[in-house]
Amino acid sequence: MRAYLALVWAVTRKDLLVEFRTYERLTAMGAFAVLVGVLFNFSIDTAVVRPQDIAAALIWMTIIFGGMLGMGRTFRLEEEDGALAGILQSPIPLHALYLGKVLGNFILLSAMATLVFFVFGLFFRLSFSGNPVVLVAIVGLGVLGFVSLTTLFSAMATRSSMGESLLPVLVFPLLVPVVVYGATATDRLFAGRPVVEVGGNLRMLAAFAIIFTVAGAGLFRFVIEE
Amino acid sequence: MNEKQIQWSVGVLGALGVATVILLHWMVFFWVPTEATMGVVQRIFYIHVPAWWIAFVGFGLVGLCSAVYLWLGDERLDRAAVAGAEAGMVFTTIGLLTGPLWGRVAWGTWWEWEPRLTSALILWFIYLGYFLVRRSTANPEQGKKFAAVIGIIGVLDIPLIHVSVTWLRSLHPQAVILSAENPMNLDGSMGATIGVGLLAFSLIFASLFLARYAVAGYERELDLRDARLVGAQAVEA
Amino acid sequence: MSFGLEAVGLVRNFGALRAVDGVSFELQPGELLTVFGPNGAGKTTLLRMLAGVMRPDSGHVRVAGAPADVASRDWRHRVGIVSHQSLLYGQLTIEENLRFYGRLFGLDDLKTRIPERLASMGLSDRARTPVRELSRGLKQRVALARALLHDPEVVLLDEPYTGLDPHASAVLREQLASLKNGRRTVVLVTHNLKQGLELSDRVAIQVQGRFSSVTDSASLDLAELEVLYHAAVENPA
Repeated sequence: MRAYLALVWAVTRKDLLVEFRTYERLTAMGAFAVLVGVLFNFSIDTAVVRPQDIAAALIWMTIIFGGMLGMGRTFRLEEEDGALAGILQSPIPLHALYLGKVLGNFILLSAMATLVFFVFGLFFRLSFSGNPVVLVAIVGLGVLGFVSLTTLFSAMATRSSMGESLLPVLVFPLLVPVVVYGATATDRLFAGRPVVEVGGNLRMLAAFAIIFTVAGAGLFRFVIEE
Repeated sequence: MNEKQIQWSVGVLGALGVATVILLHWMVFFWVPTEATMGVVQRIFYIHVPAWWIAFVGFGLVGLCSAVYLWLGDERLDRAAVAGAEAGMVFTTIGLLTGPLWGRVAWGTWWEWEPRLTSALILWFIYLGYFLVRRSTANPEQGKKFAAVIGIIGVLDIPLIHVSVTWLRSLHPQAVILSAENPMNLDGSMGATIGVGLLAFSLIFASLFLARYAVAGYERELDLRDARLVGAQAVEA
Repeated sequence: MSFGLEAVGLVRNFGALRAVDGVSFELQPGELLTVFGPNGAGKTTLLRMLAGVMRPDSGHVRVAGAPADVASRDWRHRVGIVSHQSLLYGQLTIEENLRFYGRLFGLDDLKTRIPERLASMGLSDRARTPVRELSRGLKQRVALARALLHDPEVVLLDEPYTGLDPHASAVLREQLASLKNGRRTVVLVTHNLKQGLELSDRVAIQVQGRFSSVTDSASLDLAELEVLYHAAVENPA
C-alpha cells in the first residue's frame, strides 16, 4: 500500500515539479480567472442586477471554464518527447498513474478556485458570513469530481484527432450535478443560510467525486493503452 | 441469427411497431378520456413520455454492452452498443422535438427546464459525445474503446443528473406542471395507453436496433475483407 | 534454461492495415539481435509489443521465460527501452528525470544508484542541467541511462542513432557494446547497417510486417548484408 501511494505521489510530484518550472498552466488559469472577473464586471449592469445574486453561478462557471484550460493539457507533457511510452513501459499500475494525475490536477485547480473566490470577492465586494470550512469542503469535492472526469477524458482527447476542443463537449453535460449542487450550496453559504441546508449537497458532491474517481481509475487503462 | 432471420425480424418488429403506433394514436385521440386538469393538450404525454423511457433505457443498454465489451473484448458487444446508441438517439431526438411542442401548447412556452426534458437534452449531448469520440481516433479499435468508456460514465452519471435536475426544479415548485407530468392516480385507460405507447416504441427500438446491429456486422466483414485484400496485394507485389 | 527474450507469432493490425504479420524469434540471454528494415516495415510496432506498451492482436512475448503481457506489471522491471524520442521531460534536470523513473521502477537506492549511472556514462557534471538544454547526442545518452537505471535483463532500442553526429554515434556505439555483458538480451532496430552488424549476434530483416530472414552475424560481412537487405526490400517474400 505504501509502495502504491509512493507511485501515485511520484507522478503528482513530477507534474507539479514541471509546472513550477514553467508556470504554464497556473498562469493560464490564473490570468483567466482575473480577466473573466474583469469582463463580468463590464457585462453586468449593477443598476439592474446585484452581482451578489449571481456570484455563485459566475464563480462556478469561471472555475469550470478556466479549469478546462488547465486540465486539457494534462497529458501534453507526456506527448512532447514520448514520455508516455516510458511510463507505460514501467511497472506503475495504470490506475496509480491516473490517480497521480488526478491529484496533481486537483492541487492546481484548487489553487485556481481559491484565486477565483478572492478575485470575485474583491471585484464584486462580496461578503461571506457562512462557515468557511463547509465552503472549502463543497468546492473541494466539486473540484475533485470535475478533475476526475476531465483527467480521464483529456487522455482521450490527447489521443484523438479532435484534440482539446472535444473536451468541453464531452465533459459539460456530465458535470451538471457538480454545477447544480456546488453552485446552490455556495449561494446558500454566501447568503448565510444554516449549514444543515447544504448537507444534502455535500453528500451528493461526495458521491459524485467518489463514483467518478473510482470509475476513472478503473476505466483509465482502456483509454491509455494502445 | 443468420441474415435471413435478422431481415425477417427487423421487418416483423418494424411492422408490428408501426401498427402499434397507429393503435396508440387511435387510443390517444379517440379512446382515452381527457385528463381533468390539462385538457386535450395532455394527450401528447402518451407519446413523448414512452419516447423518453426508451431513450433512457436505450442508453442503459449502451452502458451495459459497453461494460461487457470492455470486460470480454467481444466485438459483437460493441456493435450492440452502437446499435443501441443510434436507436436511442433517435428516440431522444423525437422526445426533444415533441416535448417543446407540447410545452408550447400546454405551458405557453417553447422551453421549460422541466426535469425530464432537461435530462433528455443532456442525454442527447452524451449520445453525441459517444459518436464524436468513436470517429475521432486514427485507430478505429481505439475509438470503440473510447466510446465504451463514455457509455459507462454516461450510465453512471445519468441517474445523478436526473436527481440533481429534479431537486433543483423542486426548489421552485410549479404544481400544475408537476402533477400533469407524474399523475399518480392513473386512470385504468390512461395506464393502458401509456403501456401501449411503451410497447409501440419498444418494438420500433428493437427493430432499429437489430437493423443497425446487422449493418455493423456487415461493416465489420467489409473491413476484414479489405484487410485480407491489402495483405494479398502485398504478397503479390 | 529459458530464453532471454521470446516472441511467438506476434500480429498487430491498425484497422485494415497489418503492421506486424506473425513475427517469432528466440534470443538466448546475452544475445544481441539487430533488426533492419525500410520505413513502414512495422519495426517500431514490433518493439512496442516487446516492451509491453502495445497489445498484440495475437501472439505473445516471454521475458526470461515468464509471460510478458500488457495487463500485468510485474515483469516490466526486466525491460528497458530507448526510443528515437528521448522519453524525458525537457523542463526537468537529468537527475530529476532519473529520479522520477527510478521511483516508477520501485528503486529505493536512488541516492547511490543515480550518481553511479551518471558517472558510468560521463554525465555527472551535467546532472543539474535541464534536459531541453542538452544536445541530441547527450539527450540520447541520458535516455540510455534512464533505460539502464533499473538494470534490466532485456534492452530494446528503436533507432537510437537517429540524429546523432559522428562523435555522438561513436559514443553510443561504445555504450551499446558495453551492454553486452553476457546476460543482457538486446534487440536493436537501426538503419545503420555497419553499426548494426558489428554489434549483433544475429541479424533480421523485417519487410511488410514479417522477418524475411534471420541470419547469424558471424556468417555475414557488410557487403553480403547489403545485398541481402536490398534483395529483401525489393522482393518481399
